[in-house]
Amino acid sequence: MLTVPKWGTVAVAIWAVVTFECMLFADDETTLRQDMLRLTASERADRLSAIESLQRVRDDRVLPFLEAYQRGEIYLWNSQLIFCAAMNRNSEATLMVPLSDPLTRDPIERDGQVVVVAKRELDAVGPRRPERRLITNAIRVLELWSSDRERRLGAVRRLGDTRNRIFMEPLEQLLDAETDEKVRHTARESVYLLQLAGTIEGLPQGDRIEAVKQLGEMASARAVPVLKDILAPLEEVTDSKTISEESMREALRQSLAQIESYQQRVRVVGYLFSGLSLGSILILMALGLSVIFGQMGVINMAHGELMMVGAYATYQVQKYFGHSLPDNPENLFYVWALPVAFFSAAGIGWLMELLVVRHLYGRPLETLLATWGIGLILMQAVRLYYGDNIGVNSPEWLMGGMELFQDFRLPYNRLFIIVLTLVCLSLLYALMRYTRTGLWIRATVQNREIASSLGVNTRRTDGLTFALGSGLAGIAGYALTLIGGVTPDMGQNYIVDSFLVVVTGGVGELAGAVIAGLSLGVINKFLEPFFGELIGNGAIWGKVAILIVVIFFIQWRPAGLFPPRGRTADL
Amino acid sequence: MNNQDRTPRNRFHFPVGFRALIVITALGVVPGLYWAGYMTIETVNMFGRYLAFAMVALSLDLIWGYTGMLCLCQSFFFSLGGYAMGMYLAHHGGPEGIVDANGWKLPACLYVVYPYGIGESPGDAMTPWFWKPFYRLEITILLGLLLPGLMAFVVGFFVFRSRVRGVFFAVLTQALTFAAWLIFCMNDMKLCGTNGMNRFDQIAGFRLVEDRTRMALYLITVLALIAVYTLCHFVVHSRLGRVLIAIRDNETRLRFAGYQPYVFKVFVFSLSAMIAGLAGMLYTPQMGIFTPTNMEVKESILIVIWVAVGGRGTLMGPVVGALAINLLYNVLTSQREFLWLLEGGIPVSVYENLIWKPDYWPFVLGALFVGVVLFLPGGLWSVPERLIFIIRRLVSLILRTERV
Amino acid sequence: MYADPVSGPAATAGEDREDDVRSFLVYLDSVQVDFDGFLALDISSFGVREDELRVIIGPNGAGKTTLCDVISGKTLPSSGRVFFDGNDITTMPDDEIARLGVGRKFQTPTVFDSLTVFENMELSLPGKKGIWRSLLSRQSAESRDHIMSLLERVRLVTQAEKQARHLSHGQRQWLEISMLILANPRLLLIDEPAAGLTDEETALTAELFLELSTSHSMIVIEHDMSFVRRLNAPVTVLNEGKVMAEGMIDSVQKDPAVVEAYLGR
Repeated sequence: MLTVPKWGTVAVAIWAVVTFECMLFADDETTLRQDMLRLTASERADRLSAIESLQRVRDDRVLPFLEAYQRGEIYLWNSQLIFCAAMNRNSEATLMVPLSDPLTRDPIERDGQVVVVAKRELDAVGPRRPERRLITNAIRVLELWSSDRERRLGAVRRLGDTRNRIFMEPLEQLLDAETDEKVRHTARESVYLLQLAGTIEGLPQGDRIEAVKQLGEMASARAVPVLKDILAPLEEVTDSKTISEESMREALRQSLAQIESYQQRVRVVGYLFSGLSLGSILILMALGLSVIFGQMGVINMAHGELMMVGAYATYQVQKYFGHSLPDNPENLFYVWALPVAFFSAAGIGWLMELLVVRHLYGRPLETLLATWGIGLILMQAVRLYYGDNIGVNSPEWLMGGMELFQDFRLPYNRLFIIVLTLVCLSLLYALMRYTRTGLWIRATVQNREIASSLGVNTRRTDGLTFALGSGLAGIAGYALTLIGGVTPDMGQNYIVDSFLVVVTGGVGELAGAVIAGLSLGVINKFLEPFFGELIGNGAIWGKVAILIVVIFFIQWRPAGLFPPRGRTADL
Repeated sequence: MNNQDRTPRNRFHFPVGFRALIVITALGVVPGLYWAGYMTIETVNMFGRYLAFAMVALSLDLIWGYTGMLCLCQSFFFSLGGYAMGMYLAHHGGPEGIVDANGWKLPACLYVVYPYGIGESPGDAMTPWFWKPFYRLEITILLGLLLPGLMAFVVGFFVFRSRVRGVFFAVLTQALTFAAWLIFCMNDMKLCGTNGMNRFDQIAGFRLVEDRTRMALYLITVLALIAVYTLCHFVVHSRLGRVLIAIRDNETRLRFAGYQPYVFKVFVFSLSAMIAGLAGMLYTPQMGIFTPTNMEVKESILIVIWVAVGGRGTLMGPVVGALAINLLYNVLTSQREFLWLLEGGIPVSVYENLIWKPDYWPFVLGALFVGVVLFLPGGLWSVPERLIFIIRRLVSLILRTERV
Repeated sequence: MYADPVSGPAATAGEDREDDVRSFLVYLDSVQVDFDGFLALDISSFGVREDELRVIIGPNGAGKTTLCDVISGKTLPSSGRVFFDGNDITTMPDDEIARLGVGRKFQTPTVFDSLTVFENMELSLPGKKGIWRSLLSRQSAESRDHIMSLLERVRLVTQAEKQARHLSHGQRQWLEISMLILANPRLLLIDEPAAGLTDEETALTAELFLELSTSHSMIVIEHDMSFVRRLNAPVTVLNEGKVMAEGMIDSVQKDPAVVEAYLGR
């Protein structure tokens, strides 16, 4: 049989719970506000206990309050604490300022009107000198309990670096409650670091050795200077060593070795990734160049300037979005900039082909000069119109990075460039392989005369290829705005590298540019730190070394990795 | 039929007279105008620098115009010579600085930007070993020729032996110039970084500020250019010159005729590098400063445009081209009101835009690149010949009509 | 006079091969040329003796030009060895092979366009081809006379001071042939000398070759059967990279396999 719910009972129960909660909350709120007020008490003991209890409150509003208090933005008015950031010590006493609640930051209202008072009606309160430090510590501890993960992580890390053992307790408390793996890991690391802090004789040596071992296990990069500091005096003392000193030294050495080997691996992976990233940039830059070179045997010296055009197109789009569409999410400009960069560079390239390059077939060196001249004109035109230095802001969704594993971060902008390169490569491959235009291009590369006699419009094909290659340069410039400055002569900084990629890759296949770009990128990134340690200025010597590598490579393969073959190859 | 003493093929004989004209102008008219008071020593000095540029252009013409290899590291060779002379002049330059622990007076320009190691104080600066040979003028001149020559020899040996040519060679030499520029810009190299060689005072005991020293330097440059021109003339009119042209036309075919083209290429590359080095050595004292900007890739390309505008594959062309473009540059990089007649007749805002600004120079240069390549492949030097060709055509046309 | 080099099992026994290498001026031993999986040339044994004139015929793509490329060092064989005058020249650079005495005329006439006819000839004069000699040596009256007489023979003497780029096709052919003759190599590789020549010019060319063949070894590639007949020399037929038949032109032309290769498919 169905029992009729006793609605009254349910209602009472709900009322009771709600009331209780409210009372509890109200109660907490009252205590909190009393504690806050006690910060200004005249008795030192009161103030200290207020700090003590405030730092135990788990309420996200307390942290901003304490920070404001530290900064002197909290005032006493009608024996209540208020927040006011609208003035400073030097303001006029008659300055009228609005008041707001120190916790909620809501404006204080009376009769529906925001209260505005003269500065002289407010009493400045703030931590006295000896208590500043305590407040700072309280802020640090409170940060541990922030609901913002990044903030928590930062606090945990900073506390470990204080070398102040009083923070061990709050860190251990956090460890009991924290659920985020990364924060827990860092907190444990910090606790161990604090255990090693100081040279207190009374501490059990066993714990310290354990901490050393744990840090080694964790491969903690932060521990290296700490461990080295402890090891240094121990290494000096050769005689009169106690057993514990001996085992401490052993543990230190072992942990340092462990950390070093992990860091070494991280470094190698890091070089590989930067090499990959640089390689993909090189490929992106060289792609357009090599498409044009392969098709017409022409090096487009204005390639760098076409990249610059792409970068400025991106800037122009950003400016447009910034000026006329303020409500639009700021980040979208970067999506729109991609086609704009491609088509503006492609358009200029198409014009170049039509007006100049077309008339210079079979004279590759002359073409090289003419395109250089065009590059010069483009560069100066942009310089006169835009001025010398402008900024393209990376969109927010490409800032920051992804922590793949401990101490190793993949920046999103680099990942984006790698993906962009992959997409461009596959699209280009598909275009060459599966479309009619691609067929024309390949036919013209193979044998211009025969292609022409079979009805391929080689002129049109050349124009298309040139526009395509230039458009790819535009995309490269678009990508470069993420990692470097945008200046009229930016192309000059990259162009030599992309030439080297084309020379190394040869013109037979797209794969040439890919392999050459990746290898040059990776070799460069491994050489840089090598030379950096050897003689300094790693980046420059790395570049020089790359050039020498390429010259020797050409000894072995004079026409690059994928030379053109068959009857047309020579003569 | 005498094969040895022919003027360059395919060129009209007008050049012989023109060559004499230039020599008379350079050796007679310019000094004469100066002594008569119509020309300042600064202008003479400027001509001296432009003649050094003409020499570089001539050196590029050997390798590009005759042998067909577009070399983009001529500015590097020029700078090697320039730096050599710069180091000599710095040794005998400004008084600033110290005498180092070995008793060697540290050159002033190096002292100013000396890269001290950690823990070093200004007293610890030492003159690096590679500066010391450049204390004496004769060794400097020797090294200023040998260093670029040797550099070209080594690079050429590796590059030409593996049969790198055409566009590949251009790109590689460009990369080489770029790398060298990066190195010379590094302050740690103790080559004065981006400041370059400066604070010169005297050369072989003569003060550089004095007019007679400057005049002498100008005359030496003219004579050196004549000597280099004669050397080049001898080279390109020997059988070796024919081999060079054959390399330009068809290198593969030449190999099957039993020649080793790379040997010739290495030779002419080294020779041209040495000439460029000589030009650099003549340029530095007349300029008073030598910085790594002289080594930039775009300087190399500028040399190429001198040759292209003048007319490659001829010896007079590069000289004419270098002089013409530099004079044009001199005119166009100062603010000029070409259309001053219009002033007052049109609104000021429009008129302001008609004033020529130095910023516009790259447009002219870029247009020259494109224009010469498209419309005047033979360069300026081919203009008289073309004109004469056209006139002959016209004359014969007229004659024919008369006959009818 | 004519010995069939293919008949002996040359590639099998080492001593025989030694003999072959010695008895031939140029000898190809099981040479293969592979262009990305396409076997352009596959010759087990081929040789030309001192002072022998050999004509090579074959349909398009038979590997005739590739054969010349391999001998002159333009193409590196994928496998096998090439001997010249007893030396292994398989991997020797092309210019060195040329100095050993292998001269070549290309299929399309290749001369130095910017040089005059005389200067083209001058570059082909035998002798040291180093830097200093080129720079300093003056040409002797003797060599000038030699050049001029040769030019007279091929009716180019009036063109001697003309740039080669202004010559007609036939004149370029002759210029290249005379450059080859002037160079006086021991072996001449001549790729389609009669292409684009008038009948009269063809006759003169044949006459020149026959004269040359008394003191030079020659390999002539030709399509023009009347020219081949005129030479009256042993013929090797190449097809799909292989030696298909050898013998005098009349017997070869009756070979059904050859007829099939030319007309069939």
